Amino acid sequence: MTVATATIKPRRRRMPVTVILGLGLAVVIAAASLLAPYLTPFDPMRMAAGPRLAAPSIAHPFGTDEFGRDLLSRVLTGGRLSLGIGIAAVVSGLVVGGLLGLLAAFAGRAVEAVLLRVVDVLYSFPDTLIALALVAFLGPGIENATLAIAISLVPFYARVTYGLAAAERAKPYIEAARLAGINSGRLVRVHVMPNIGQSLIVMGTLGFSSAILSAAGLSFLGLGVQPPSPEWGAILASGRNYITKAPWILIFPGLAICLTVLSFNLIGDSLRDLVDPRRKGRP
Amino acid sequence: MSAPFLSVRDLTVAFHGRQGDVEAVRNVSLDLARGEILALVGESGSGKSLTSLSILRLLPEAARMTGRVEIDGQDIASLSRRQMEDVRGAKIGMIFQEPMTSLNPVLTIERQMTEGLIRHKGASRREALEMARISLDDVGFAEPERVLRQYPHQLSGGMRQRVMIAAALALQPGILIADEPTTALDVTVQAQVLDLLVDLKSRYDSGILLITHDIGVVAETADRVAVMRGGEIVETGSVDAVLGAPSHDYTRALLASHLTVEKAMHQRDADARRMAP
Amino acid sequence: MLFLISKRVLAAFATVIAVIILSGILIHVVPGDPVTAMMAQSVSATPEAMADMRARLGLDLPVWQQVGLYAWHVLQGDFGRSIRGNESVAWLLLQRLPNTFSLAVCGLTVALAIGIPLGFLAAIKRGRLADTAVMVIAVLGVSIPAFWLGLIMIQVFSLKLGWLPVAGSSWRNIILPALTLGLTYCALVARMTRSALIEVLAEDYIRTARARGLRERQVLLVHALRPALISIVTVVGLVFAYLLGGQVIIENVFSWNGIGRLAVQAMLERDYPMIQGFIVVFATSVVIVSMLIDILYGFLDPRMRQR
Repeated sequence: MTVATATIKPRRRRMPVTVILGLGLAVVIAAASLLAPYLTPFDPMRMAAGPRLAAPSIAHPFGTDEFGRDLLSRVLTGGRLSLGIGIAAVVSGLVVGGLLGLLAAFAGRAVEAVLLRVVDVLYSFPDTLIALALVAFLGPGIENATLAIAISLVPFYARVTYGLAAAERAKPYIEAARLAGINSGRLVRVHVMPNIGQSLIVMGTLGFSSAILSAAGLSFLGLGVQPPSPEWGAILASGRNYITKAPWILIFPGLAICLTVLSFNLIGDSLRDLVDPRRKGRP
Repeated sequence: MSAPFLSVRDLTVAFHGRQGDVEAVRNVSLDLARGEILALVGESGSGKSLTSLSILRLLPEAARMTGRVEIDGQDIASLSRRQMEDVRGAKIGMIFQEPMTSLNPVLTIERQMTEGLIRHKGASRREALEMARISLDDVGFAEPERVLRQYPHQLSGGMRQRVMIAAALALQPGILIADEPTTALDVTVQAQVLDLLVDLKSRYDSGILLITHDIGVVAETADRVAVMRGGEIVETGSVDAVLGAPSHDYTRALLASHLTVEKAMHQRDADARRMAP
Repeated sequence: MLFLISKRVLAAFATVIAVIILSGILIHVVPGDPVTAMMAQSVSATPEAMADMRARLGLDLPVWQQVGLYAWHVLQGDFGRSIRGNESVAWLLLQRLPNTFSLAVCGLTVALAIGIPLGFLAAIKRGRLADTAVMVIAVLGVSIPAFWLGLIMIQVFSLKLGWLPVAGSSWRNIILPALTLGLTYCALVARMTRSALIEVLAEDYIRTARARGLRERQVLLVHALRPALISIVTVVGLVFAYLLGGQVIIENVFSWNGIGRLAVQAMLERDYPMIQGFIVVFATSVVIVSMLIDILYGFLDPRMRQR
């Protein structure tokens, strides 16, 4: 006996302008970060690459910081750090959260009730607060910050995956597959995952922007990436005492964070309504 | 019969669609005087509701209307937005199909009944309250004061529809548009509400534009009937003439299906009686 | 109604207990020995001092006993003593609580005062220029890190224009941090207001109100805004929670003497009793506010009130 698989409806919908804008921005930022070693005019850690606190010029398009380091080089290199933390946190958060969500949807009523309760309680706390609390115990540092951010994303991903999986669970083809005696594990792998995977990837981009913001915030507080590493939040933290004399130290790393977060928000926001039927006004 | 209070000429309502405009209402003309009941009958999607909404200029933004609608001798196209607001409720009242959702759930009945009176009749809060009490009494509430203090969810469907009627009639409109006023109600309550409408029509001297898909309702209440199909009026005339000797195939079909249903229901009742010990 | 409230209160209480237990456990998942980590920066880290510290924190007891003891003490208002300075954590937190609370309330007020009108405007001008503009501002708003916005505010309003002090504790000092928090989170409020109002505007009772001939103003401000506000109330708790998260950073940007600043200091110094206290207090605030909001909602919505 064959089990009917649901076919994915072809998307006729035109891609919204905002998605294109977001994607374009994301590609540029990702490329700039990846190619940073080839693009940077100076070693980002090299002190006195120019005069101290020099205004933007042709030699130093973003100016220099309090140690005379080239800010453009630092911001570009910082992108590698920020994006790296973001990707690592999102992927691990998504995997763990996704598994929990699927478990809640397919492992029986008792598991569902308990997991949902716990996830809902955790979800009522903002992710920055969770990340902060975890880093407080784990201690400062890039690995700990990444781990903390990843964990802080788990409730969100678990909730979303559960929502998608539960909607899928109600569809007739799953019922048919169950009746055909296919066990839950196989059901999820062969039938559910392909159908909700696309939606999960969209939700992944949303978590990404919040991961970047958390990482920058933690580093700014001195709890994430430690100086002299050129993470954007860390650059802002060490440059904050010079903001009158050298506002460029404030402007460029901040803009880098904004544009990165904005690009993923643009992508995620426009696509989210298409994939998350339950969502209403949640951030 | 007096001069028509409401006069509609060549009303056309079109929606801008992907393949050009779609005309949902085409060249509809009708007249209605105070004290008269005109039934607009047709299946859902035949354009009845759009016709009634365009009389009050309450069409969705995407719709465009052409033609001429005169209320009490005034062409509504010539009215400003604010002047139109003065006409709504005061000259033409309207009640809708869904009494469950047509009342605001977070406002008391008092608030929803008096706001129109204060707005159109220039009544003080106290006067409005008294008028509201009287019209609730008119629609058969034994304890109007109690109802006034309540919220919509505390009332049954039939009660809510009576509140809607009371609120609309309290403003003494020349014409009341009743859009499927009984469809969402229980069968027993339906008859009560219809009787009430007929009774109040003469007491308030309002005309009623009764929109319905139920030809049985038409036969019981209306003076005249206009049959709509696919956005057009296909047949119009007195109820006796149209229902007695329908000239249009569609009217005959409507009548036939109604009779079939009626027959089936009689049959079922008869069966039930036979089955009963 | 009374039943709903007591159920909600009990749930909130259970959550707080869970948070206390969790923060009691967390100290044991610290990689390595917490005492070593804590004393790492201290010159007086003699073996005796460390053993003394271990005993003081109850770290030589079995884990479940430690956690139980911690929870028991916290419930009695005893959060232990800080590592640096050996002061009562509860007292330190209590001292800073008014500052943190006033900043949070001011920030929330700003967020609502800006966000609700913007969302309202966007909803009634749906699909037009004003709507698009508000939505663009909203997506920009959620993309700007609060601390960066704060730094820019300091740069512009304190340093360049000299209108407001950079740091200090007069009432003028709350303006910039409250504005920063408010501007950061008003985007969230605007979006939620917009979607709530759009939903309400599609309701039948709005059509009824218009058919009754009410002025459009009245339709929007009474018939649409009131039900929309009731559903907005339910998300205010959420906004408050997010705002508290942002507040930790903002307090540090503006040197605002609140719990957030205290907490970050404690985190940098590995002062665990202090950190635990911060977590319990912040989490409890989130829980209490969302509980109060739920109860308030019950009173605002006549459909709930009857139960």
